[in-house]
Amino acid sequence: MNESLKKKIESDFKTSVEILEKNRWTTTVKKDQVLDVLRFLRNKGFDHLALISCVDWIKEGEFELIYILSSYLAGKERLHLILKTRISRKKPEFETIIPIFENAEPYEREIHELFGINFNGHPRLEHLLLDRDYEIPPFRKDFDTRKYVKETFESIKPVEEEK
Amino acid sequence: MQLRLCGDKKMDRNQIVKWIRNPKKMGPKYSLWGIYFATGCGIIEIPPILTSRWDAERFGIKLAATPRQANLFLITGYVSLKTLGAIIRTYEQMPDPKYTVGFGSCPINGGMYWDSYNTIKKLDKYIPVDGWIAGCMPRPESIFIAVTHLWTMIDKGIADGYKKYKENYTRYRRNQEKVLGELDWPPLYSIGKKGGGNDE
Repeated sequence: MNESLKKKIESDFKTSVEILEKNRWTTTVKKDQVLDVLRFLRNKGFDHLALISCVDWIKEGEFELIYILSSYLAGKERLHLILKTRISRKKPEFETIIPIFENAEPYEREIHELFGINFNGHPRLEHLLLDRDYEIPPFRKDFDTRKYVKETFESIKPVEEEK
Repeated sequence: MQLRLCGDKKMDRNQIVKWIRNPKKMGPKYSLWGIYFATGCGIIEIPPILTSRWDAERFGIKLAATPRQANLFLITGYVSLKTLGAIIRTYEQMPDPKYTVGFGSCPINGGMYWDSYNTIKKLDKYIPVDGWIAGCMPRPESIFIAVTHLWTMIDKGIADGYKKYKENYTRYRRNQEKVLGELDWPPLYSIGKKGGGNDE
């Protein structure tokens, strides 16, 4: 069954599925294919979205979104599939996948907060963990943490020294 | 019975004189009721201290249910911006006299989060801290050493962080507002121009 699924993904979406180890696959698709691929995989038994992650490739000028799916209910034949796609860094926008996987909501909020990617159609894109707004979202590679720390925290004087 | 504490100090009937001379000081000294503010990994050291292996209760340390019943404030771990607000609120709810102890290297200078975008580095810029326990992680025994040091400090009257907080309240509040933005709770003491609380 797994072999036929692999061939079906490769022929339908014109990608190649790489086998990392047993029951752990990875594939890269174009950004306008992602929703179709996810819908297809959901119907094929990938019922669990484990994680959405993001990588900032600053030299290429791209963000990489990573969706980790697993067919949780398949028991011993459980499959993990890592789906990767790249979006432009200048216009960080993407479609939400909440209609397909409902539990994507906090992951997309987190990525919005830390990388500044807007997910169109997301019902509440607001802060998840942080309390304040940053000029550059803090997980981007061009966010200078040491400069930020110097300006924000180290500029505050200790109370005892002021007398 | 003579119980050795540290060095040549003995908890025996010599203490009775101290009790008669200054009961107000001796009351909280052996009744440190703690609020453990479990911000980071330091909380992992607290359950063995409270339970029978190290048994903090023989030192008079107990876990208090609410900040309003506590006088020892133990901050165990890094302090992010969000928890700083909760720490200030908790500290302001505690009745005087109150003693703060920073546990681990993170509240001292940031520790391994020294260049993080979301942790405040030095806790004593925002609330007064009476003592520090250095280490990453400190052993449970170091809490008892800290407690015996705190006893000495209470004896000598130098564990006066809560008095400093009242005196310099304007400065503390200004530092808190600098890093947290506008605070959504009213000031504890009145804010004066000179930098102290209660000076109009």
